[in-house]
Amino acid sequence: MDINDIIIVTDFNPLIFWILALLGIPLLSFFTATFLKKNAPLWASTLLFANLLVAIYLAIEYWGTQGVTIRGDWFGIGDTRFTYSFFIDQLALIMLLVVNFIALLVHFFSIEYMRHDAQKARYFGLLGLFTFSMLGIVLFNDLLFIFIFWELVGLSSYLLIGFWFEKKSASLAANKAFIMNRIGDLGFLTGLMILYAQFQTFDLEGIKSLTILSSIEDGNWIAEYFKNGELVRNSLDGRWLSAAGIALFCGAVGKSAQFPLQVWLPDAMEGPTPVSALIHAATMVAAGVFMIARIFVILDAQALEVIAVVGAITAFMAAVAALSQFDIKKVLAYSTISQLGYMVLAMGVGAYTAGLFHLVTHAMFKAGLFLSAGTIIHQLHQLETEETRFDTQDMRVMGGLRKFMPFTFFCFLICALALAGIPGFTGFLSKDAILLDTAVWIDEKGGGFYFIEVLAFATVLLTAFYTFRMIFLVFTGTFRLPNLVDKSVTLKPLKDGNIFLKLPAVLLAIGSFSLVFGLSFKAEDTWFYQVIQNPIFLVPEPYAAFNLIDIPLEYFEFLHARVVTISIILALAGLVTAFLMYRPGARFATSFPEKREPIGFFRQISFYHWYQNALYEKVILKFILMMSRWLAWFDEKVLDGFVNMIAKLQVVIAHLVAWFDKNIVDGFVHLTTYTTGKVGQMTRSIQSGNVQGYIMAAMAFLILMLIWLLF
Amino acid sequence: MSIDILLLLGAALFCIGLAVVVTRKNAIAVLIGIELMLNAANLNLVAFSRFDGDQLQGQIFALFVITVAAAEAAVALAIVVKVYQHFNTADLDQINELKG
Repeated sequence: MDINDIIIVTDFNPLIFWILALLGIPLLSFFTATFLKKNAPLWASTLLFANLLVAIYLAIEYWGTQGVTIRGDWFGIGDTRFTYSFFIDQLALIMLLVVNFIALLVHFFSIEYMRHDAQKARYFGLLGLFTFSMLGIVLFNDLLFIFIFWELVGLSSYLLIGFWFEKKSASLAANKAFIMNRIGDLGFLTGLMILYAQFQTFDLEGIKSLTILSSIEDGNWIAEYFKNGELVRNSLDGRWLSAAGIALFCGAVGKSAQFPLQVWLPDAMEGPTPVSALIHAATMVAAGVFMIARIFVILDAQALEVIAVVGAITAFMAAVAALSQFDIKKVLAYSTISQLGYMVLAMGVGAYTAGLFHLVTHAMFKAGLFLSAGTIIHQLHQLETEETRFDTQDMRVMGGLRKFMPFTFFCFLICALALAGIPGFTGFLSKDAILLDTAVWIDEKGGGFYFIEVLAFATVLLTAFYTFRMIFLVFTGTFRLPNLVDKSVTLKPLKDGNIFLKLPAVLLAIGSFSLVFGLSFKAEDTWFYQVIQNPIFLVPEPYAAFNLIDIPLEYFEFLHARVVTISIILALAGLVTAFLMYRPGARFATSFPEKREPIGFFRQISFYHWYQNALYEKVILKFILMMSRWLAWFDEKVLDGFVNMIAKLQVVIAHLVAWFDKNIVDGFVHLTTYTTGKVGQMTRSIQSGNVQGYIMAAMAFLILMLIWLLF
Repeated sequence: MSIDILLLLGAALFCIGLAVVVTRKNAIAVLIGIELMLNAANLNLVAFSRFDGDQLQGQIFALFVITVAAAEAAVALAIVVKVYQHFNTADLDQINELKG
């Protein structure tokens, strides 16, 4: 099979204009909004609205099609061709809609949220850049381009997390996010290199086709294909196949905040709240899961196991961490990590559809939660005056907000019910699907993998608990702020946000009802499952994971009832526990405002997120600092010493050369000038200036010449 | 009349002119010497022309020499005037700025 027959440049397709529009409009917003002052929010939102319309048009036009590829030549070096390719399939369409929809709502929300920020033009420009980067990942079907946009996502998240860079903590958080992502990206890059070494192309379609054609012989992974008419036979140890998958997954570990790189995400809460909504729902953390989906079919059994384990661990760890936070955004951040863990777990167990389904449902309800939380923070911020300063994100100053902000309460509650996995809301559908597929996969695998199931189900309980703990603490009981501030200060009344804050939240809350996806309580019956199906693994036989498709449907049916029952019971148990502990008047609720740093091992583990930050600081950071100090010493003493020695040697040589130059070379020059001068001195008297003398001399020579000529 | 006597007269005149050029201090006198030397040459030309048969080359050439000598005298005298204005002297011994 010739590689050039797989990677074919497609004929002109007008679709390219729509794709360029999708990428161009947010980019235009980035370039123009920064220069506008007052009108930037409106302009950027209008552009994003136009982009959403383009996405909707494309969705209508291409819904249900097999997927359209557009490929063109990018450049070539020698006979190595580099192509770019776009791929519009069902998944890309859904992602386009979700990303554009949530980005638009975030823009809209930000109009009010950032109204008084002097730098809002920059803010809206960066939102455009963020959207542009994410759409690039969604649209391109070429790992190199995905990597480029992947980095752009990293950059724009860095710029937005550090948007309030005057705050030390914000710029540190931005650095942390960027560095953690870089570590993951290193893995991505390694994966790219392995795949390129084997297949000599970055085109995903090419990689997939060549993966089918590759084979495993004697433990070696062999790819045989023709390139420009010549047979190429690349052979790598079979383990590189797993390594490629795991390395690419490392990229997702960074972007999608998986264990062990997830520590950047809670810190990323330093950015403006709408940005958090965007990062958590549509543009950044989704990129990792989406990337796994794109490379899903070339992952082998071992890579998938790693992915599943990492996902389960992340889901559980973050859920535990969310139990005891004071900061409302921190709770949401940990819940995001936890839900991303579910998605990654789903990918790992081969539940492609379920994972992506959760990605979409989570995008809706998590954006809704963040925007509602943003409303609360924004409205609380209005109460702040010169004399009263308080942490507007701290749940200890909230409480009883249901009376003041009923609208926000309902939006938040609906999204929270979806997060907790209560039947009737989207979160239930997708989480249930993941749990079911996980259960089936583990039954097939057996052995030690049962701990994944335990973690996954434990996370259901914890999720419901921390979600309702948050709801009880924020919305029920009495408003605690007046007791915390000076009695003499009269606070302005707290009220719901205006239309800019309400509309996005309510749209996202509506999107959290399971009705959006279908009437049934079973994920399999939703339209999402109709349009996106589990693909078949393309990895050569001995390395391929078993596919969930191969398992008889009866088995799913058999487990489904059990899984649903257990997950509902666990979710309700979490709800009830939260109610008992944090309902108004309960012991934990009354002591909550006085709570400070937690005491006791388990509480601290939860509050400090398993001491992961401390561990990194104590071990890795310390080690790196030690290394760098040692390297500095080495640099200073050894390298600089060497350089200094060379410099000294140079000086000595220079002195020798100077002596030679002064005495020998200059000696010659001086000798020449001396001789010339002497000769001049000797002959100068001939030029007496006496005209008559010259005539005499001329005459004498004339006579002499005549004598010589004539005789 | 033989040519010898004419040539001797020319040579004598040339030598006198040369002597004047070399010995006199005044620039005007030197110019006079030069005129003498030119006329000695003219004398030679005319003398040879007389024994040349039917051609008048020598005499014509002598006429040219006289013309050129006139022009030369004009230029030379102008230079001498300028030199005198500049140095306030026409003494050639004192005008030796170009000595090495």
